[in-house]
Amino acid sequence: MAPEVLIPSSPAEAASLFGDGTGTTVIGGGTVVVPDLTSGRIDPGRVLLLSRAGLDGFTVDGDTITLGATTTVQSLLGLADQVAALAACAANLADNEIRGQATVAGNLCVGAGYEAPRGDLQGCLLALDARVRSTGPGGETTEPLEDFLAHRHDRLALDVSFERPAASTFASLAYPHTHEYTVLAVTAARSGDGIIRLAATGLAGPGARLRSAEALAGDIEAAAAAAPGDVTFADDALASAWYRSQVLPVLVRRVLSELEESA
Amino acid sequence: MNLTVNGVATSVESAPLTSLLDVLREELGITSPKAGCEQGGCGACTVLVDGEARRSCLTPVAAVDGAAITTVEGLGSPEHLAPIQQAFTHHYAAQCGFCTSGMMMAAQAYLDDGGNDDHEAIQDALGGHVCRCTGYVKIIDAVAAAARGESFDLSVTAAGTSMTNLGGVS
Amino acid sequence: MKAVGARVPRYDGVAHVTGHTMFVDDLKIPGALWAKAFRSPVHNAGMSNLDTSKAEAMPGVHVITWNDVPLLEYGHLSALGIPADEPLLAKDEVRYLGQPIAIVAAPSEEAAMAAVAAITADFDERPALFDVRKAFDADAPQIHAEGNWYRHFEDEMDRRQIRKGNIDEAFDKADLIVQGVYRPAAIEHAPIETQVCQVVPEANGRLTIYSCTQALYFSMGVVAAHLQLPLNKLKVVGGTVGGGFGGKVDTATETLCALLAQKSGKPVRWRWTREEEFLCSSTRAPWHMEIADAVTKDGWILGRKMLTLHDSGAYARFSPYGLTKHSFHHTGAYSIPNLEFDGYVVYTNRTPTTAMRGFGVTSVSFATETHMSRIALELGIDPYELRLKNANRVGDTSPNQIAYTDPSTVPTILAIADAVGHDLTPEYKAMTPGPRSGALLPEHLVGQLGNPEDH
Repeated sequence: MAPEVLIPSSPAEAASLFGDGTGTTVIGGGTVVVPDLTSGRIDPGRVLLLSRAGLDGFTVDGDTITLGATTTVQSLLGLADQVAALAACAANLADNEIRGQATVAGNLCVGAGYEAPRGDLQGCLLALDARVRSTGPGGETTEPLEDFLAHRHDRLALDVSFERPAASTFASLAYPHTHEYTVLAVTAARSGDGIIRLAATGLAGPGARLRSAEALAGDIEAAAAAAPGDVTFADDALASAWYRSQVLPVLVRRVLSELEESA
Repeated sequence: MNLTVNGVATSVESAPLTSLLDVLREELGITSPKAGCEQGGCGACTVLVDGEARRSCLTPVAAVDGAAITTVEGLGSPEHLAPIQQAFTHHYAAQCGFCTSGMMMAAQAYLDDGGNDDHEAIQDALGGHVCRCTGYVKIIDAVAAAARGESFDLSVTAAGTSMTNLGGVS
Repeated sequence: MKAVGARVPRYDGVAHVTGHTMFVDDLKIPGALWAKAFRSPVHNAGMSNLDTSKAEAMPGVHVITWNDVPLLEYGHLSALGIPADEPLLAKDEVRYLGQPIAIVAAPSEEAAMAAVAAITADFDERPALFDVRKAFDADAPQIHAEGNWYRHFEDEMDRRQIRKGNIDEAFDKADLIVQGVYRPAAIEHAPIETQVCQVVPEANGRLTIYSCTQALYFSMGVVAAHLQLPLNKLKVVGGTVGGGFGGKVDTATETLCALLAQKSGKPVRWRWTREEEFLCSSTRAPWHMEIADAVTKDGWILGRKMLTLHDSGAYARFSPYGLTKHSFHHTGAYSIPNLEFDGYVVYTNRTPTTAMRGFGVTSVSFATETHMSRIALELGIDPYELRLKNANRVGDTSPNQIAYTDPSTVPTILAIADAVGHDLTPEYKAMTPGPRSGALLPEHLVGQLGNPEDH
């Protein structure tokens, strides 16, 4: 059954066509949705294709960095000087061809993977205390990324913004070639006002903050030990929950140590 | 929808969410990009979209309406091989040949972007491409040689010249 | 041999780099129908109430099931004495997840997927067996008609057996018994080109089969047998393979496409998805090998006891042949005069396994070489010396009593030692593969040697 395909040519039109999102599948770059279409795993009735919606590109306004929803993952590498962890997290994703097509919002809004975790940018942007401007039921709203993630499948993300951190670091456990999904990753960021935030991906659900570890950030070993208690792991094709629980403290230690060195 | 494919303005009838891969292969009969996995995992489908290397299996054709698409057929021909095609031939960078189209398009984008003969940079550029036959060494050597602007004497390695240099083995 | 060492053209080199090489899926055959498979969703079950009627009612759709196959079971290697045991399409049971039950042909890929989705069957699941070690347990589920392991080696033996010399004496005389267990896992060939086939029914009743098979004449014979057609009714066009590595010898698509082409009167095209390639195509088999070697303090290997369990998956396919080759090579590059080898082709509810690069022998080479290193470690002997001492030499005999005329073990090991800069004593550096004598002919090898002239 051929779906209705809508291709808005402005952010306003995209929001209007999305409406309350009922029965609508959104395609950012296509890297997540198109394989599902090709294989017949999904059969959407209505598809919103954002390739021309003018939602791409990032802006820097003073200390505030705003990423348009369809900003490509590859273009985030251009922020390496300002947000090291974001560039590192982006560079760790797939390969340049896929990064050149994949979008920030597509990665944030992605659902559970097929036996492997997805949504690496969720962790990094949580650590950056990002907020998401989105539209959907109830109209437009801006909320913390953590709240957005809880209902990300019902919303159309418009942009993501955060304040430039004083420093940020990223560490991941991944198989040593481009094709593998990231098994586990942690981002640490110290905000301009000195607050350290930690977040991880590769968990049982979407990316999540490591709040007890954050509370102990002054004592790296204690923070590392506390981190597994903040999250739930799952077994999947890449690694067991147990293995991830053993590696998480290592990654936390790494990002906090490097964050300290950058001070 | 409209595409410019290898320099030729082409109108496209396929449904808007048809993958660019299927548009090229099924509608337009351009078969160099291959369906290796249709999930973006192998790189056999890579083509250039406005000069950028992209997985055609992941690209809904409506997203590239109006774009210029380049495939292997647009790089060169048996009579006039492009430098990357010469390099691949000379270095035996293809065995079964199935990954070759995708590899060369990625390599071409790398070269067009000013890529040099650094092996790590080449591996990074071609990092999304899987080859099950060659072990990659000759592919990287070929791209490095092309990056250095080497010219290749294909009188031995190009098939058109037959094997007369071996004393008539046919 | 003018080509060796020379740079020669690949006859397909220019075609590969210009996109001119025509792989099977690149052929544009007007009017070709798309094929898709309805496959078993479970590992082991009785199957009933297979209903393809809704699919067949769809416009332009044709369906084949076991009932459409003139000869449902044909042993691909029946010429080697391996009897048929595998239905081309499942009839009243399924024995591996992904086993093909019905194939549809439809005017588009989408229509084919819809037709498959409209096929139903009932599955009465049975306990499945995945561990070859458990296959021999009294309470193991019996998953093959003849039990859990193959029983048709010569004289209807249920194992490939090699006996040589006097193994008990060897074990009595040993200073040490060195044991090891080796379990290489299954490997998916993962060629970049998935299984693919196109079949055209010609006006004169012949079928033209465009195939990615690695074994063109072999596949032709398989198709002819299942379809009960004389060979001159088939024309197989092949030779352009996007990677095979042993995984494209199973004739996985050709027969089914040919049947659909006959039934529909139209060309049929079947290209497996990557998911099918991973889940449903045959793999290199997993192996379980146990070795116990009787060795002397000074590094002679007097005898070897070995047990091999070859995981054939749900059906025999080529496994008995692979195991046979494996058995001939179970001493590897080395001469072991007293042998007790038993190898079993064991059935599990995996996808049937097949050849991959060195079918049957790669596994035993891995086990043998690792075991040699283990022996060297336990004896405290240099691993090169251990190998050179026991290396195959002219006049030594293989497990199946063939005398070696030109074994390459010694020069190869010397070349390796040289290449990596491993120092050998003059005695070892001077070794040759020539017939044994002096220190290289200990008492236990006298009388064990063969005559290379008999080769």
